Amino acid sequence: MRPDFWPALRSPIPWALLALAATMPFLLPNYYLHILTITLVYAALASAWNIVGGIAGQISLAHSLFVGAGAMLASALLVKLGINMWLGMVIAAAASAAMGAAVSFIDYRFRLGHLSFALITMAFAEMAEIYVTNTEFLGGASGLFLPKDKGDLLAFQFGGISGVYWIMLGMAALCVVVNFAILSSPLGYNLRSIRDNENAAQAIGVGLLRNKTLAMTISAVLTSIVGTIYARYLAFVDPYLLVSPVLTIEIVLFATVGGLGTALGPAVGAILLAPLGEILRGHLGGFLPGLHYFVYGLVVVGVILLMPAGVWPSIRARFTRKNAQEAKAS
Amino acid sequence: MDELLQALVQGFFVGSAYGLLALGMGLVYGVSGIVNFAHGDFVSLGMYLCFAFFTAFALDPYVSVVFTVPIMIALGALVYRFLIKPIAGRQLLMVIQLTLGVALLIQNGLMMVFGGQPTRAPSMIESKLFLVGDVVIRGAHLVACVVSFALAILLYVMLQSTDTGRAIRAVQQEPRAAALMGVDVGRVQVMTFAIGVGVLAIAAALLLPGLPIQPTQGLRFTVITLLVFVLGGMTNFVAIMLGGIVIGVAEAIGTIYMTHTLGQLLPYLIFVAIMLFRPQGLVWRS
Amino acid sequence: MLEMQGVTAGYDGVPVLRDVSVNVARGELVGLLGANNAGKSTLINVVSGTVPIMSGRLMFEGEDISKTSAQDRVELGLVQVPEGRLVFPQMSVRENLLLGGYNRKARPARAGNMDHVISLFPRLGERLGQLAGTLSGGEQQMVAIGRGMMAGARVLMLDEPSLGLSPLFVQFIFEIIDKLHAEGMTILLVEQNLSLTVRHADRCYVLERGVVAVEGASAAVAEDPRTRAAYLGM
Repeated sequence: MRPDFWPALRSPIPWALLALAATMPFLLPNYYLHILTITLVYAALASAWNIVGGIAGQISLAHSLFVGAGAMLASALLVKLGINMWLGMVIAAAASAAMGAAVSFIDYRFRLGHLSFALITMAFAEMAEIYVTNTEFLGGASGLFLPKDKGDLLAFQFGGISGVYWIMLGMAALCVVVNFAILSSPLGYNLRSIRDNENAAQAIGVGLLRNKTLAMTISAVLTSIVGTIYARYLAFVDPYLLVSPVLTIEIVLFATVGGLGTALGPAVGAILLAPLGEILRGHLGGFLPGLHYFVYGLVVVGVILLMPAGVWPSIRARFTRKNAQEAKAS
Repeated sequence: MDELLQALVQGFFVGSAYGLLALGMGLVYGVSGIVNFAHGDFVSLGMYLCFAFFTAFALDPYVSVVFTVPIMIALGALVYRFLIKPIAGRQLLMVIQLTLGVALLIQNGLMMVFGGQPTRAPSMIESKLFLVGDVVIRGAHLVACVVSFALAILLYVMLQSTDTGRAIRAVQQEPRAAALMGVDVGRVQVMTFAIGVGVLAIAAALLLPGLPIQPTQGLRFTVITLLVFVLGGMTNFVAIMLGGIVIGVAEAIGTIYMTHTLGQLLPYLIFVAIMLFRPQGLVWRS
Repeated sequence: MLEMQGVTAGYDGVPVLRDVSVNVARGELVGLLGANNAGKSTLINVVSGTVPIMSGRLMFEGEDISKTSAQDRVELGLVQVPEGRLVFPQMSVRENLLLGGYNRKARPARAGNMDHVISLFPRLGERLGQLAGTLSGGEQQMVAIGRGMMAGARVLMLDEPSLGLSPLFVQFIFEIIDKLHAEGMTILLVEQNLSLTVRHADRCYVLERGVVAVEGASAAVAEDPRTRAAYLGM
C-alpha cells in the first residue's frame, strides 16, 4: 500500500459524504431514491469494470457475463432449487471468478492484442445472451420473478427500496475503495505497466497471467455481487437487460466519461450520467423513446473529443491548479 | 439432403452480402487502423433511409439507393472528419468508445424519429421465388448475391488499377512514403471511410427486402460484420468475401440442423476458434 | 533555387534545428553531412513539409513556401527519397513507380518519366511485375529513387541512400546520382559517409547538434578540422 492510502481513508470528507448519502432514504421520495439506487448500481459496476478496463487497460466487453451470472444464476438457484440467495450470491460470484479467470487465461495463452481481446469478449457476451435466453433453468427468454421482499435479511431480502439503497451504497463504496487500494498497491503498478506496454512489463518481471487474472477475478466477483443485489431489487430478472452486451457498453461509457484508470472517475461518470438518463427516460421516454441513450451518445462523443482523459481528471486538474495558484498568491 | 442444399444456397447468398458489409470495415481498418463499432448502426441507418423514401414517395428500396448512397457517403465523410480524425492515432480504446458513442447516437436518433416498433420497407421483388431443382431461391437473395459480388469486384478493380485505388493501398502499406509522394493521407482516410459507409447504404438495401427492421438491430449487424472481418484476416478482400459466405452458411446450417441454441451459437464459436487458432484469418499468404 | 533562411524547427515544440541556413543552386549536388542525430533528416523533412518551421523562412525559386502544404511541395518538385527506402511492399515495381507520379503535375508525364527511370535502372525494367517487398535492398533503393523521379522531382532529396547496401550497390547508387547530376538534376544528398559524399558533391554542409558547423566546397569541407570534430561530437 502506498502511504497515502490510509490517510485518505482517515480524511473526514469521504465519511461525511457517505453519511450524507446514507440519510437520503429519510429525505427523498421513492422515485428519487430509485434513481439514486440505479445510479449506485452503475457506479459500482463502472468502478468494478475499471479495475480491468481502466487500470489494466484490457477492454473487456464480457462484463455482462458477470452481471448476468450474479443476477440470473443466483435467482435461478433460489426460484428453481430453493437455495438461499446469500449462498446463491456466493455461488454466482465463484462462477464469475472462474469465468473471469478463464477469460484471462485465454487472453494470456493466446497473447491476444487489445483489439482481439475486445472482440473475443464481445463474442462471449453475445454467446452468453443466446445461451441464457435459451436455457429454461436460467429463466429462458422470459426471465424469472423473485419472491416478494418481506424484509427477511437471512433470505437476502432488504425490506424495500431503503434497504437496497443502503446495501448498494456500501457496495459502491467498496468498489471505489478497492480501486483506491489497487491503485496504491504493487498490483496497481503492475497493471498499469501492463496497460502501457505489455512486453516491457513482462521484461521487467511483471507476471502477465498472475496480474491479469487477479484483476479480472476481483472485478468479476464485485460485478457479480452487484448483479445479485440488483436482481433482488428489480424482483424480475430480464435476460435482455441483465445479460445484454448493451449493459457492458453502458458501463464502459460511464467509466470513460468519468475518467478511465482513476479510482473515482468511473463512479463520477455514473453519478453524472445515470440520473440524467433515468430522469430523461422517466419524463420523456413515453413520447421520445431513445432520448436518454441519444444524450449518452452526445456526452460520450463530446467528452472524448474535449476531455479525452475524462471528466474527473479534468475537474481535479482544474482544482489543483487553482489551489497551486492560491498558494502562490498567498 | 434437400434441406442441406437449401441451407447452403441460402447461406451463400446471404453470406455474400455479409461479405460486402465486412469489405467496408476492412477497407477502413487497412487505411486508418480503425474498427468502427457503429458499423451496424450505419447499416441500420441505410435501411431506415430506404424506409423513409418508401413511406414518403413509395420508392422501392432498390431505387432509393440512388439517394441513400450519396447521403451516407456525405455523412461518413463528416463523421470521420469531425469526430474520428481528431482522435485517430490515439489509444484504440478511445476510438472504439467514440464509435460506440456514435452508435448510440444513430440508434437512438432512429428510435426518436421512427419509433421502436419493428417495421418493413417492402420491395417489389421480395416475394419472387425461383425453383432450381428442389432448391427455392428468393429473388431478393439472388439480387443481394449478384450485386455484392459485382460491387466487390468493382472495388477490387478500383483499388488495383486506378490512381485513387493505388493511393489508398499506398496509405495502407506505407503512409509516410505515400505522404512524401504527394498523397494527401488525411483526405484518403476521409475518403475511404466515406466509401466504406457508402457501401453500407447499398448493403442495407440488399438485406432489406423481407427483413423487419428495428432501431436496436445495429449491434447485431456490427457483430456479424466483425465476425466476417476477423474471419477474413481483416484486410484481404477475397478472404473477407469468403468469410462472409462461411458465416452465412454457418448461420443457415446452424438454424436447420442443430438444436436451437447451438445453431445460434455456431457463428460465434467459429469466430472464437478462428480468433484463437488462426488470428491471421482463414486464408493466409504463403 | 532552394534556400533555408535561419530556420529553427523540431518536434512538439522542441527544436532540433537551430537557426540553420542552407542553400542549393539549380543543378547543384549538395551534400548534407553529420553524425547520427545531427538533424540531417529533420532538415529535409522541413523542406518536404512534414516537420513544421518554428521560425525562419524556406524559399523555393524566390517564393516563400514555409506555409505550403506537403502535397503542394511535391507538386512544386521538392521530392524526398526517404531513409530506409519505404517502398510499398505489396505493390509491384510498376505500381510503385506509377504512385510516384501520383501528383497532378507529374501524371501527364508518367510514360516518359517511366522510360527514363527504366533507362537508368534496366534491372527495374526486368522486374516491373514483381512485388517491391520481395526485392533486395539495393533494388528497393532503385525503386525509391525511381519513384522520386516519377514525381517530377526538380530537387531530389536523398536521405541516406547508401544505408545498409553492399559496397557494390553503394558504388552503383552513387554512379546513378552522378548521372542525374550530369543531366542537370538538383540534388540534396544526406549522407553519413563523409569520404564518398565529398568525392561526388559540389558543396557540402556539416551539421552538428542542429546547427551548421562547416560549409563550403567539398574539398575544403573534407580538410576542415571542424568537420572531423563535428563527426566525433567534440
